[in-house]
Amino acid sequence: MSKPKHNFVVSQLGHETKIYKFYDHEQCTSQLRDYLNSKMYGRKASQLLKEFVNSESGQLTGFNNDVFAEVIEECNGHVLQLEALLRKKQVEGSSDQTSKNADHFGALIHHLSFVRNKRCLMAYVYNRAEVIQNLGWTFKRDLPDAIKEKLSSSEKEYFEKHSATLQSYMSDLNDLDLAIDMVPPKDPYIKVRVLEEIGNEVVLSDQVANLAMHAILFLKRNDAESYISQGKMEELTS
Amino acid sequence: MESGSGDGTGGFSGVDDYETLISTTDADLLKRSWRNEKAAPEILQFQSSLVQRSREQIQLMEETVEELVTNDEDPLTISLYQMDIDRTMFLLRSYLRTRLQKIEKFMFHIQKTADLWTRLSRQEQKFAKRSIEDMKQHLEQSVLSKFPERYQSHLKQSVISEEDDMVPEPKLDAFVICRTRKFLGALPVDDSGEENPLDMYAGDIYALRYKSIKPLIESGQLDLV
Repeated sequence: MSKPKHNFVVSQLGHETKIYKFYDHEQCTSQLRDYLNSKMYGRKASQLLKEFVNSESGQLTGFNNDVFAEVIEECNGHVLQLEALLRKKQVEGSSDQTSKNADHFGALIHHLSFVRNKRCLMAYVYNRAEVIQNLGWTFKRDLPDAIKEKLSSSEKEYFEKHSATLQSYMSDLNDLDLAIDMVPPKDPYIKVRVLEEIGNEVVLSDQVANLAMHAILFLKRNDAESYISQGKMEELTS
Repeated sequence: MESGSGDGTGGFSGVDDYETLISTTDADLLKRSWRNEKAAPEILQFQSSLVQRSREQIQLMEETVEELVTNDEDPLTISLYQMDIDRTMFLLRSYLRTRLQKIEKFMFHIQKTADLWTRLSRQEQKFAKRSIEDMKQHLEQSVLSKFPERYQSHLKQSVISEEDDMVPEPKLDAFVICRTRKFLGALPVDDSGEENPLDMYAGDIYALRYKSIKPLIESGQLDLV
């Protein structure tokens, strides 16, 4: 059977009507699919979350400003339509039962879609914020640029504030540093290799050490731990 | 830590008889509180006097070590003392850290539940308050300020929601592994209404829903592992 030469596709979604004319059936369906995908309420927001879920746990992908803004826009669209429908309902009063019902459910759909989008956006921001909270344990004030790039401006601000909150809790406890001792200590001293030039007369709690690059030293765990978390040293396990 | 007998912290009082009380050191108590805190899905009562005593003892031991160093004692003895300090410090830090991480996770829930809020120490309450402010502002800046007023709450989906339906809560019916500290007799362990009491003997280990054994943990009759 030969394929039809022309395809006309009429799609009506919301208040838009579009007519597509294609010569090729394949092209037609794929374009239509794209169109429908892009138009389906809540699709973008779920994309946003899928992106977060698919990233490795504890790691962040770049803040997706584009999709985020699109979802916000979709939300605003819902609000406009919702308000229009509600106004219409008020004006018309109780005239025609069928159209009243249609408007009522239309409004409900816009409300539900909005709320769903809100949940998705909040989940996206909140879950990322949880990862950022954890970063506060590893990096005290300064985030490495590689991570900074991935945060939105509000997220950067949040990191600074939250890590300040954490630091202030620790200073309330007479400067008890909670960010060290992340693993149970087995030995008071550990063997480490210096990965980055740190300085040649660094005062540690029990010695003054020359922390030159590639040096292998025997340090107190407490002293070494902060360097290890910053990636300036690595622990050598035999 | 050998010194210091547990003279009854808030959570464990009235349960242990004098014998066990006198043979329990603060190190044991700290370890127990730390384990419970690690395993429980929700935040537990802050053991303020225990933490206070532990910190004092650590300080005392540090002074002892310094004294030993100045007296040129055997390095092995010193390093044993040092290791003891390190271990206690780890327990203490990890205990406080676990609590902070729970506060970070469930800040909104803890704030609106008075019972949980009073479990925090003064410093933790301050930490929680600031964390909540920071998080709220971050959520508002990123999302909520762009919405109409009806949808702006960070606790509710919209004004129509009767309850706060957007607050993460700990899963209290999660299973936990626990060990009994003494014979507890028959215990109804699930709320299915079924006649299914469990005879619990001292030292037995069970996997049970946290919800059903919560009061026993709070009174110190059960330990989480």
